[in-house]
Amino acid sequence: MNQRAHATTVLARRRIFETLISPGFYIAQTVGLVLAYFLVAGFVRAIDSSGFDYQLYPAYELIGRSLVGAFGTTFVEKLFSEGPFLFILYIAFLPVLLYLAVSSVFRFGLEKKVGALELLTYGPADSTSYFLAALIKDILMTAIYLVVLLVFLLVAGVLNNLILGPSFYYSLIILFFLSVAIYAYGIFASSLTDNSASAIAVFLGLILFFIIIMMGSFTIVSGYVRNLASVFAWIIKWISPLFYWDLALRFVEVGDWGMYFIGILLLLVLSMAILIISHLTMKARGVRP
Amino acid sequence: MIQTKNLTKRYGKFTAVDGVNLNIPAGEIYGFLGPNGAGKTSTIMMLLGIVKPTSGEIRLFEETYTPKRLDLRRRIGMVPEKHPTGMWTWMTAGEYLQMFADLFGLEDSGRRIDHLLEQVGLAEVKNKKFAEFSRGMLQKLSIVRALLHDPDILFLDEPISGLDPFGVKQIRDLILEENREGRTIFISSHILSEMEKLCHRVAIIFGGKLMVEDQMKSMLNTLAKDREIHVDLEELPADLLGKVKALNFVQDATGEEKTLVVKVPKTGDYRKELSKYLIDQNLVPLSIQEKSLSLEEAFVTITKENINLFAGIGGEK
Ligand SMILES: Nc1ncnc2c1ncn2[C@@H]1O[C@H](COP(=O)(O)OP(=O)(O)O)[C@@H](O)[C@H]1O
Ligand SMILES: [Mg+2]
Repeated sequence: MNQRAHATTVLARRRIFETLISPGFYIAQTVGLVLAYFLVAGFVRAIDSSGFDYQLYPAYELIGRSLVGAFGTTFVEKLFSEGPFLFILYIAFLPVLLYLAVSSVFRFGLEKKVGALELLTYGPADSTSYFLAALIKDILMTAIYLVVLLVFLLVAGVLNNLILGPSFYYSLIILFFLSVAIYAYGIFASSLTDNSASAIAVFLGLILFFIIIMMGSFTIVSGYVRNLASVFAWIIKWISPLFYWDLALRFVEVGDWGMYFIGILLLLVLSMAILIISHLTMKARGVRP
Repeated sequence: MIQTKNLTKRYGKFTAVDGVNLNIPAGEIYGFLGPNGAGKTSTIMMLLGIVKPTSGEIRLFEETYTPKRLDLRRRIGMVPEKHPTGMWTWMTAGEYLQMFADLFGLEDSGRRIDHLLEQVGLAEVKNKKFAEFSRGMLQKLSIVRALLHDPDILFLDEPISGLDPFGVKQIRDLILEENREGRTIFISSHILSEMEKLCHRVAIIFGGKLMVEDQMKSMLNTLAKDREIHVDLEELPADLLGKVKALNFVQDATGEEKTLVVKVPKTGDYRKELSKYLIDQNLVPLSIQEKSLSLEEAFVTITKENINLFAGIGGEK
C-alpha cells in the first residue's frame, strides 16, 4: 500500500472512531428520526376515505404551501404523489447531511488554522489523505444513517399499513450520491479558506446558491428575473449537484433507468472533479494558513 | 545530509530567504541562528517540503528533494516552533502519539512510545489529555512525536524559547543524547547562549541571508575583535601594568584586584609569551585563561553596519 493510501486509512479509522464515540452524530440522527416520526404520525391523521391529501393536515398544508411557493405546483405534486414518505425522507435526511457536512468543514478549517493539519504533514500524511479520510468517514456515516432511516420508515410503513413507493427507493439511492457531491463541495470550500468561519460561509454560500438556482428553474418568476435566472442557471447547473439529482429523478418518472444511472454517474464524476480541484488548490496553497 | 543551493523564498515581493547555501554532514548538530523574522522557520519549512521554495535546490540524504518525496520525509522528524493548541482536545498524550505511530506504520509502537515518554519524563502523564499540558510538557511531547519513527534528521525550530531553565536543560540533554545516537540535528534559535553549549557548527541568518557559517570556535574567533588573556596572580605589583603594556604583542592591559587582563591581537596565542614574561618578573601566574567572546557578544557584533565584513564568509561555498 502506498504512503498516501496508508495515511488515509489510518486517519479515516480515527475519524470514524471519533464520530462513533461522540454525541453529535447521534443527536443529528435523533433529530432526523423525531422529525420523521412526527411527519408519519401527522400523515396518518391526514388520511381519509379518498386517500392522502396533504392539505388535510395543518402541518403538511403549511409545508406544502411554502414548497409550492418555492418550487411550484408540479414539484410538490410529484413529491407527494406516492404518499408522504418521499418528503419525509428528505426532511429526515437533512439534519444528518447538514451535521456531517458542516462539522467536517468546521474541523478542516480549525485544524488548518491551529496548525494540526501541518503537524500531520510532518509525518507521511498530506492534505489529500486528510480530506479523503474525512470524506470516507462522512460517506460511511451517511450510509449508516440512510439504512437506519430506511428501517425506521419501513417499520412505520408496516405499522400503518403503508408502502414506501418506488420513487422513495430511487430517491434514497440518489440522495446518497448527492451527499457525496455535497461533502466534496465542503472539502472544496475548506481548500479555498484558512479558518472554520470562512470555510463554512463559503460552503453554505455555495449550497444556498445552488438551491436558489434550482428554485429559479422551477418557479415561474416574472419576466426579467426569470430570464436572467434561466441563463445563469444554465451555466451554473453543470456544477450543481442538485441539477444531476433532479435530472436523475426526472428520468425515473419517464422510466428511463439508463439515464437514471447516468445521472448517478454524473454526480460521481462531479464529485471526483471537485476533489481533484480541491487537491490542486491545496497543493498550491499549502497547509500553512 | 542536508544540502541547499541558492535556496530562496519570496512572499510576494518580500524576500524571506535569500539564496541560502547549506551543507550539513551527517551526525552534526547544526545551529541556525538569527533574530526573529530572519527566515529560520521559512528555511526549515522548505527543507521539510511544507513550503515550496521560490527557487533553488534542496538535496536530502544525497537525493534531490521535492515535497512529493514522502519517502524522504519519513526520515525526518520535526519539532515546530509552537505546538498547535486547541485541537484534538479529547486525546491523551498516549493516543496522540499512537496516531502518529500508526501513520508511520510503526511496529511495536507501544514500547517505543513508552520508552520515549520515559526518557523525557512524561511517562506518568501518558493517559492525561495533552491539551492540558504546560508549554514545557508540550515541547517534550512534540520531541517524542518527532522521534517516534527514528528519523535520521531532526529539525527543531526554536525548541527552548519559552522554557524555564530546568526545561531548557532537559531539552538540551535530550538533544545531545539523540545526537550521540547518530542523528543529524538542525536547530534554529534566537537564544544564542544555549546554542553555544550545544552546536558543533553554527550559521547566522539575517534578513534571509546566510551571514556567517563556521565551527563554533572559529566563528567566535572570527567575530572577536581581539582576545583577552586573564591571569590570576598572587599579587599585582603597581608597576606591572605599565611594563606589560610596553610588550610588543600587547594592545592594552588592565588590572582587577589580583587579575591581570591583557588584550592581544586575535591572530595568535600569546599565553606562553605572557607567562614566560611574568615568570621572568618573579611573579607566579596561578591561572592563565584566554577568555573568548561569547556567541551572544558575537551576535551583537553582527549588525547592519558591519555586515559586509562577514558577507563573504558563509554565502559563497
Ligand atoms: N506566509 C507568509 N507570508 C508573508 N510573509 C511571511 C510568511 N511567512 C513568513 N513571512 C515573513 O518572512 C520573514 C521570515 O519569517 P520566518 O521564516 O518565520 O522567520 P523566523 O523563523 O526566523 O523568525 C518574516 O519577516 C515574516 O514576516
Ligand atoms: Mg521562526
